[in-house]
Amino acid sequence: MNHWLIAPIVLPLLAGAVLTLVEGRAPRLARWVSLLATLGFLAVAARLVGLAASGEVSVYLLGNWQPPFGIVLALDRLSALMLLLTGAVALAALIHALGGWDRRGAHFHALFQYQLMGLAGAFLTADLFNLFVFFEVLLAASYGLLLHGAGPERLRASFHYVVLNLTASALFLIGVSLLYGLAGTLNLADLAVKLARLPAGDAGLAQVAGVLLLVVFGLKAAILPLHLWLPGTYAAAPAPVAALFAIMTKVGIYAIARVFTLVFGAGEGAAAQVLLPAGLATLAAASLGALAAGSLRVLAGWLVVASAGTLLAALGLAGAASLGAALYYLIHSTLIAAALFLLAEAIGRQRGAAGDALAPGPALARPALLGALFFAAAAAAGGLPPLAGFVGKLAILDSALGTPAWPWLFGVVLVSGLLVLVALSRAGSLLFWKSEGSASGAAVPAGEWLPVAALLAAGFATVLFAGPVLGYARAAAGQLVERGGYVESVLGARPVEREPAR
Amino acid sequence: MLALPFLGSLGVAALPRGARAAAAWLAGAVALAAAAILLAHAPDVFAGGVGRWALPWLPLPGADFGLRLDGLAFLFALLVLGIGALVVLYAAYYLDPADPAPRFYAFLLAFMGAMLGVVLADNLILLVVFWELTSLASFLLIGYWKDRAEARQGARMALAVTGLGGLALLGGVLLLGQAAGSFKLDVVLAAREAVQASPLYLPALLLILLGAFTKSAQFPFHFWLPHAMAAPTPVSAYLHSATMVKAGVFLLARLYPVLAGSEAWFIAVSATGVLTLLIAAFLAVFQHDLKGLLAYSTISHLGLITLLFGLNTPLAAVAATFHILNHATFKASLFMAAGIIDHECGTRDMRRINGLWKYMPWTSALGIAAAAAMAGVPLLNGFLSKEMFFAESLRVGQHPVLDTLTPLAATLAGAFGVAYSMRFVHDVFFNGEPHNLPRTPHEPPRWMRLPVELLVLICIGVGIVPALAVGPILALAAGAVLGGPLPEYSLAIWHGLNWPLAMSLAATALGVAFYFALQKLYGLHDRAHFHRGGKEIFDWIVAAARSGADRLTRYTGGGLQWMLLLTLLAALGLGVWAFLAFGGGPAPGPGRPATPAEIAVALLGAAAVAATVVLHRRRFLALLPLGLAGLVVSLAFVWFSAPDLALTQLLVEFVTVILMMLALHWLPGESPPEPGIARRLRDGLVAVAAGAGIAAAAYAVMVRPSPSYADFFLRESVPRGGGSNVVNVIIVDFRGFDTLGEIAVLGIAALAIHALLAGFRPAAPAAAPGGRRSEMLRTVAALLLPIATLVAVFLFLRGHNLPGGGFIAGLVFAVAVLVLYVARGWRWTEARLALRYEAWIGLGLLAAGFTGIGSLFVGHPFLTSAFGHPVLPAVGEVPIASAMFFDLGVFMTVVGATLMALSAIGRLGPPVKDDEL
Amino acid sequence: MSLELLLALGIGLLAAAGIYLLLRPRTFDTVLGLSLLSYAVNLFIFAMGRLRVGAPPIAAGGAPPTLATVADPLPQALVLTAIVISFGMTALLLVIALRGRHESGTDQVDGRDDGRGSGA
Repeated sequence: MNHWLIAPIVLPLLAGAVLTLVEGRAPRLARWVSLLATLGFLAVAARLVGLAASGEVSVYLLGNWQPPFGIVLALDRLSALMLLLTGAVALAALIHALGGWDRRGAHFHALFQYQLMGLAGAFLTADLFNLFVFFEVLLAASYGLLLHGAGPERLRASFHYVVLNLTASALFLIGVSLLYGLAGTLNLADLAVKLARLPAGDAGLAQVAGVLLLVVFGLKAAILPLHLWLPGTYAAAPAPVAALFAIMTKVGIYAIARVFTLVFGAGEGAAAQVLLPAGLATLAAASLGALAAGSLRVLAGWLVVASAGTLLAALGLAGAASLGAALYYLIHSTLIAAALFLLAEAIGRQRGAAGDALAPGPALARPALLGALFFAAAAAAGGLPPLAGFVGKLAILDSALGTPAWPWLFGVVLVSGLLVLVALSRAGSLLFWKSEGSASGAAVPAGEWLPVAALLAAGFATVLFAGPVLGYARAAAGQLVERGGYVESVLGARPVEREPAR
Repeated sequence: MLALPFLGSLGVAALPRGARAAAAWLAGAVALAAAAILLAHAPDVFAGGVGRWALPWLPLPGADFGLRLDGLAFLFALLVLGIGALVVLYAAYYLDPADPAPRFYAFLLAFMGAMLGVVLADNLILLVVFWELTSLASFLLIGYWKDRAEARQGARMALAVTGLGGLALLGGVLLLGQAAGSFKLDVVLAAREAVQASPLYLPALLLILLGAFTKSAQFPFHFWLPHAMAAPTPVSAYLHSATMVKAGVFLLARLYPVLAGSEAWFIAVSATGVLTLLIAAFLAVFQHDLKGLLAYSTISHLGLITLLFGLNTPLAAVAATFHILNHATFKASLFMAAGIIDHECGTRDMRRINGLWKYMPWTSALGIAAAAAMAGVPLLNGFLSKEMFFAESLRVGQHPVLDTLTPLAATLAGAFGVAYSMRFVHDVFFNGEPHNLPRTPHEPPRWMRLPVELLVLICIGVGIVPALAVGPILALAAGAVLGGPLPEYSLAIWHGLNWPLAMSLAATALGVAFYFALQKLYGLHDRAHFHRGGKEIFDWIVAAARSGADRLTRYTGGGLQWMLLLTLLAALGLGVWAFLAFGGGPAPGPGRPATPAEIAVALLGAAAVAATVVLHRRRFLALLPLGLAGLVVSLAFVWFSAPDLALTQLLVEFVTVILMMLALHWLPGESPPEPGIARRLRDGLVAVAAGAGIAAAAYAVMVRPSPSYADFFLRESVPRGGGSNVVNVIIVDFRGFDTLGEIAVLGIAALAIHALLAGFRPAAPAAAPGGRRSEMLRTVAALLLPIATLVAVFLFLRGHNLPGGGFIAGLVFAVAVLVLYVARGWRWTEARLALRYEAWIGLGLLAAGFTGIGSLFVGHPFLTSAFGHPVLPAVGEVPIASAMFFDLGVFMTVVGATLMALSAIGRLGPPVKDDEL
Repeated sequence: MSLELLLALGIGLLAAAGIYLLLRPRTFDTVLGLSLLSYAVNLFIFAMGRLRVGAPPIAAGGAPPTLATVADPLPQALVLTAIVISFGMTALLLVIALRGRHESGTDQVDGRDDGRGSGA
């Protein structure tokens, strides 16, 4: 059994615990602990990607109990990919936060590490209830981070966010236990097997549980009509937190991809029928929202929603090719969204009172640097070449051609692409060109623009090495759709020999 | 070659803002170097070879990063680089010292590179990539003078329109690739039959044409181009003669072999072409702005080229290719001349610029020559391609009506062409004296004029000895366009007296007459611009979209209850739908009849719930029935064999209610009444529906036989879990990992609370709490703590075998401290207990975490437990299991978290006065 | 009236009441609603293990118990976890409400003090 699998969860847990002890007393030390822990997380994630790339599903039996009875962690290409992405975004966000955000309130670094723990757990666990627990961990941490620095706007947004998610958690519990009541197990692989053998009379109830879970994940992923909370919340969040949240919506997407392909089977069941239309509707609504956005952060928020819609629509196509394309798109959209949130803060700082509002404001002191970064980020987000947004969209559309739904997908994706383009060009010309009065802001500290540049560079790397990256994404998708391997590895795993009880 | 411009762009961008000369030199050098490389390839291209170079890129069929140099690509690349170099030279003198030159050249080179990419791409995907890059680069170039509103608008409009085209093109290319089986040009161009037979052909064609037409400013997408004139003139000269707008017609030429020849192609392309040709030519005459006139003439010439491609005859294609070349040369020179004039006169208004012949004869001569070429005067290149065009218009041969209409349209267009050329020449260089110009014009610097001279020279050279000057390269390019044998054609000035010549003469005469008629009778100068619909429509669409989006977003946006309602309705609706869609229902098993006592308790609970709802507006009061409801729930747990749950439920209940009471000191004691019953009714309905759904699901499952796999836990709990309280063993061992997460959540919540209330000092409590505590309470509290601690220890130890365990023990201890708080006040207690909550949480989590890690050292996975059973007096058999250290962690975290939360609120200000001790 | 039906109705009632309060426009009422809802959910999870009276899952010596003889322990464990988590969350939510009220001067969920909430 490979103990690396537990590391992404335990490392941040211990770091968080230590930080809980020291952060109040030794803030400098806390920063180092947090930074090192995050670097370690990234390293471990990279190691795990290497492990998963071989194509075998690594399984970890917690407490050394025979599956499906104990809790099981399973690492396949998808989980590894999500972990790596988390690590990358987290590092960028943390470096940005070290610029001063982390001092605006207590316990920032501890909460940050717990957040990582929750994310890692959600991506690794192969147990439905355990998934709920880790959802709660990452949500609880996100509440704390969202509240970081307080302020009425942030408090209102947080209250909404918490109440909505608690409601969702209630639905989650109902869905999980309903499945348990019907299939008598919580292990995802085991559920896949048991649900297939369910007596006809129980199918309806099982599907009800399925759609309840879909609503839960849909709220996280911000899918129409559950998307309204996102732009406001993300805009209210501290910049580094918003950047980290870019991965949070993807947790919802991940959960949908995992549960509805593994447990219910790709393209089967009630939930699967909803994905495509819901995704397209979300995309359309989001591009309109982007057009109406009044500030860059809100605009970025809508772009997050748009990417969620695109991903969901691709998932709805349910083919391995579409899924692979979607995963590729997921990588880039996460990186770019994070970059945009960090960038919005830097730009806002430069424009003084005007902040990142999409209205004429004072000129920037560093228009060249920020302008270049914004231009790249916008082009990527707008799905323009040469950045990955384009390649991802391309791959998704191409994969759709086989299916009867292609005209819909083409129509919505291309038109919304145009709307987003208009919105972004408007934003750009308002922020960088239409300036009133002279530069007010000071220089842009490296800690502010370096993470952005790094994220964009990472995004660009996914285009440069589109071959291997897309290859990996497709392999991951194949592994996901062909669920036999996962199920066998999980249920076939055996505990290590242990001495009998004395 | 392709890389050079991009690298150069970066290099130039790196230069300091002031380095004008350096930037210009570098840019020029880049252009020339690239051109040199291109010419180095010339021999084998002329030998009929096709240069190829590729790197693997996308794992899509044929979508490598590949370049392909054939005749057409060669011609265009030559134009792009050659004119590019001239523009660089020209701009060096044009740009104002105030303008940041490096930025300009950086954008220009980036654009040059993108354009090269378009013409050199060896597959459709790559073509689209560079296509979009040209849109982006042109956006930056047009918006170069960022402080001018019209520049910003022009840039955004250009980007929106060409962006639309780009997206359409992307779609069309994907379809085409699907139909052809690959994106590689070689394959696609060879797959004519397959493609045109495919059902995807029509959508593909239309989408691709949409792309081409938007780019080449074809009617009705022409409006962006005149607004793009807000760009510096060198940009206009570059974008609108040789490059940007030519990309559209290049696409037509590129895909001619595979797409052309069909009815649909003929109708769509030639109709668009002819409309654009006429409308734009007509509008051009009425422009007062020098560049405006040139812009419209550009549009109409592009229309002409499009029309030629649309005619579906090989010769027409040749003519089109030829005209692409010619137009590029004379239009570039005209724009530059216009730029010089603008530069020298400080205005571009042809009503004020007159009679420049006196001031700048040399420039005037050049301008006149170029304009003549544009008009198609013999001995100039424009004439030849125009002749070919007329000739082609005569043998459309598709339909009698068209046969007569096309030549007429052609002649008319020719006439307009002559007219606006006339206007350009006559208005600017003659027609009296200039009116109140900002400055007195004179000849520009030698080097600024050089590019114009070179271009005009080409015009004349081609015009006089066409076969010599352009014969080979034209043949080469046209061959590539047709992808087959070239038709017979001769490049000569004199074809004898024939129809085309007649048409030319007619057109010229008409044009001259038309112009002077306008000038004299119509009073051209006094008339305002022709109203251009395009921009207004565009603006209207954008505005409408924005306001619509605005309204939509505002209406749906925001409110919590609205979002909650949507969430609940989504769950409810989907749930019902899924159930109905997949059928099945409660298989009515024999339920166990309920005894009157059970029903009575249930009714009590129901009453409590009802009371909570009814009284909810009077908050303190509402807490009582809430607590009662909780009590009934825990009774249910006891009754249904879940003692641990009951115990936990009770304790949590207790603590929660206390928390709420504390919180209520800082919140209004009452909810104001809600106006109107409608909302409450709606919410009530939703609530009842949801409740019914949950109840139904619960019932349906309860009456089924249980498929649970829990026998395993019951069986293994003692032998391998080392505890007889199976629930507790599950919590700390079988599913200990859940518990680890659970206490983490608790700790996180506490930290968040602490962070949120740290340094928060609200005003006086909203509601003053009553009275002082009795002596008794104090003593009770004082006694309670040690006892409770003992109980906690006891519960903790036996937890593994009987109801109890770390969590419950932790709560008991916390409650005891809590009572002490209430009795003694926060400061008093904390002064004496001196509990550091963070430490409890942190250490608790560490204990739990390290217990888990411990098992790694004996080679077991995380959280594997090991245990033994020493017997303690009074407590009985005690499991010293590693699980116990884990449970200890749970205990500590629970105590720390609970007390941290409570004291954070409590400390806000004593709800009960502190004792002075 | 079977015991199962009785419990199911109880769960339904708790859920309905909880959701109704959840939809009120005041923060504290929302918290009340969530507590009621969590009772309902806990009972629901518990019910998924089916009902059994007077047979707690404790392996007191002798032959190991089975589901035929004692209650299903797993849902109980799940409920324990659920209770703890919802306790923590309730506390946090209360504090947010409390602090928010003092920052924005009202305890209306959207920070608007026109009594009526959104979405009407």
